[in-house]
Order: sequence, then C-alpha cells, then structure tokens
Amino acid sequence: MRECEKVLDYFNDELSEGEKEQFERHLESCEDCREEIEELRSLTDDLPFSSEPVDPPEGMKDRVLGAVFAEEETEEKSQEEENVVPLEQHLEQDSSREVDRPTRSNRQAWLMRGLAAALVASLVGNVFALTGGEETVSEPPAVESTDQVNQRVSLEGESTPARASAAMIRQNGSQLLTLQAEQLEPLQGDEVYQVWLLNGDEPYRAGTFVANQNGEGAVAFSMDQLPSELDWDAVAISKEPNAQSQTPQGEVILSSSL
Amino acid sequence: MMALITEKKGCVMSNRDLEYYQKMIEGDKQSLEAIYDKYEKLLYSFVIKLSSDHSLAEEVLQEVFIKLWTQKAKYDNTKGKFSSWIVTITRYTAIDIIRSKKESVSLEEETDVPEEQSESVEDLVEWKEKSSTIRKALDQLSDEQRKIVDLFYFKGCSQSVIAKECDLPLGTVKGRLRLALKHLRKNLATVKGGIRDA
Ligand SMILES: [Zn+2]
Repeated sequence: MRECEKVLDYFNDELSEGEKEQFERHLESCEDCREEIEELRSLTDDLPFSSEPVDPPEGMKDRVLGAVFAEEETEEKSQEEENVVPLEQHLEQDSSREVDRPTRSNRQAWLMRGLAAALVASLVGNVFALTGGEETVSEPPAVESTDQVNQRVSLEGESTPARASAAMIRQNGSQLLTLQAEQLEPLQGDEVYQVWLLNGDEPYRAGTFVANQNGEGAVAFSMDQLPSELDWDAVAISKEPNAQSQTPQGEVILSSSL
Repeated sequence: MMALITEKKGCVMSNRDLEYYQKMIEGDKQSLEAIYDKYEKLLYSFVIKLSSDHSLAEEVLQEVFIKLWTQKAKYDNTKGKFSSWIVTITRYTAIDIIRSKKESVSLEEETDVPEEQSESVEDLVEWKEKSSTIRKALDQLSDEQRKIVDLFYFKGCSQSVIAKECDLPLGTVKGRLRLALKHLRKNLATVKGGIRDA
C-alpha cells in the first residue's frame, strides 16, 4: 500500500508500530496527508455529541475516581496496601491469562486498582467512599493509617462458578468491608451485583458493583453507615435488577457466614 | 445573533475547562472531580455508542481519567477545545480496549442495546446544543454514507474492513468517507441555518 493510502488506518490507530513510524516520517514530507488528517479530525469533531444520553451506573464516579487517585498512591504505598489486602495471587492469575496482550499491561492491575482505590479513598477521608448513594460522613484525613484485617471469609454459591472473598478491615477506628469477586456472569441492562450484610434475617445494603468483561468485580464499603450496635451474621451477594433494591429482589448467588 | 451567543458560551466553557485542567495538573483533586462531573455522562454515553457495553464503558472512563491525572495524555489548549480533546482521548482509549478484548476473548458476545433515556437532561451545554442538529444531519445521509461514517468513526474499523463491509474496492474507501463527512458538514450547516431562521 502506498503511504498516502494509510491515512485512515493511521487515524484509527490501526497501523503496527513500524508502519506508524514510517507513516509519521511520510507525514513530515507529505502535505496532502497532513491536510487529510486535519480534515478528518475537524469533520468528525462533533460526532461524539450525537451520542444518546445514557445514565452511568450508580457509584461509578466513586469507583473511577477512587481508582484514579489510587494510581499515584499505589506507587508510593504499595508496600502498605499489599499488607492489607494480599492480591498477588489474583495478579498472577490475571497476568497468565493475558500474556498475549503486552501493550495493555496495566489491565492486569484492574482488581488491584479497584481495591487499592477503595482503601485509598477511605484514607483520604471517605470523600469517595464506595457507598452507593447514601450520604457519607467525612472524616478528617488520616496521616497514619492503622489498617488491620479483622476477619476474612470466602463466599460460595451452589449454582455458580463465581467466587468471592470479603474482608473486614479496621482502620482508624472505623470498619471497612472489602470484597472482590471473580468468574461472575455478565450483567444485562441496569443489573448490578449488590452486597448485603445480614443481621439475623434482616439484610442491609453494603455496596454495589458491576463485573468487568473478565467477570471480576470489587467493592469497598464503609461500615460507618450501618448501625454499629449490630452483629453481622452473614455476607451475601445477589444479582439485582438495578442499583435501587433496598432488599434482595434477585437470587442470592454467593454467601458466607461471618 | 444566535451563532454569536453560542460561540461566546463555548469560549467561556473552555476557559473554565482550562482552569480546571491547569489546577488538576498541580495536583488538585477537586478540579479533576469537576472535570469528571462535567464530562462523565457524555463520555459514558459516547463509549456506549462505540461499544454497546456498560462494563467496558466504565473501564474506559477509568483509563481516560487515569491518563488525565497521571498526565500520560496532555492537553494543549493551542490545538483546540478541551471537550474535543477529551472525547478524542476517550475514543482512542475505547478503540484500544475494545481491540485488546477482541484479541484475547474470542467469544465476544453482542451485548444488548442499552436503555436510553427518553428525556434529555445533559448537563453539558455543548452537548445539548449540538446533539439534535448532529443527529438530524446524520439522519439526512444516505444509508450507505451513514454506514461508512459509523464503521470508520464509531467502530474504528480499518480501511480493509470498511471495504469488505460496504462492498467497496479498497482504493475508494477514503474518497467515499470524505464525501460522506463533507455531506454531513453541509447537512449540519443546513440544519443549523434552519433553526436560526425559525
Ligand atoms: Zn501522503
């Protein structure tokens, strides 16, 4: 293919690294191609605004910003956080599954990011605590965190290959429930996975999450929002038609006693 | 008159964006949050238009805002509006992630079309202003032209895939696409003009 015929594939980032370099050298000397690319850019400029508005899922902002702010902190505090939630096993599994994807190495860190994010979010004062809509009480930023894993359980279900593990973490006097799941079924439409804590028969909402394409999901929930005098008997995950269920509407897929 | 007002608004908006962006570079989390709040729904809706996949859309947004925050992607205000820049970053990030999923997961399932909101409550003035005119302009294209724009821009397909899908000789794809996009530009001007006259 002549260089000038690669304009579209260059624009759509379809060229291999070598082809791309070659084409970029060509661009330096070919004004036509430079103009065509500029023209494509300006002609397509407005197209994103044709998107029909779709409501993002509940809690997305908390999850995304939590993960974003965790980026720099994970580098600084990786030691600390790995002590809190050992995710090495997951990371190993993930990387073996994704060996043929060298360019996307950071994808493997998805789970890590989700959870680390949640932890960091709570470190910076619950501003982005993953709570699913309820009001959160801000705490002053903690300089030194004193995280301590109080309890860790594995959740199981009879009719699903999905697995999850949950941990109660005590941090500066408040409790955080963290949960990570894998091999989840994909969700349809507004469906979400809802975490519940049970006091006797009474379910309390304890975080909402969705599964990524690899069937993985993670959530961290500040227990400060729940009545502190209650004892928790079990933790469960159900698939709910949307993020608004106040009691489990869907089937409980995974659970464990506490 | 209306064009003047629109331009003025656009100008004010991008200055605010630039202000947020510069504060964000200095490490101000509130400014990143402000950018997020402003663009969340547009970018989310855009990725769903690109991929029809809700969980993927969240992943893409996460990646986009990580690129912003860690400055792996840098905005240069001399090269255009912040909104154009952030949708472009989002498009490339989405294409990249969709492509890597397709390579590693062979049993790619078509997910169902997301539920769309009936009422239009976009917070973003630019979106509100542009969406209906662009949709109208797209509607006025021929089916073939709409398809080629969709495959190229929204699906990020290569030239050879477009040639196959549209049953065109490889060498004619670029010409057809440019024609379709110019047609779209003309339609946009007509639609806008119509609104102004009304
Ligand atoms: Zn050329």
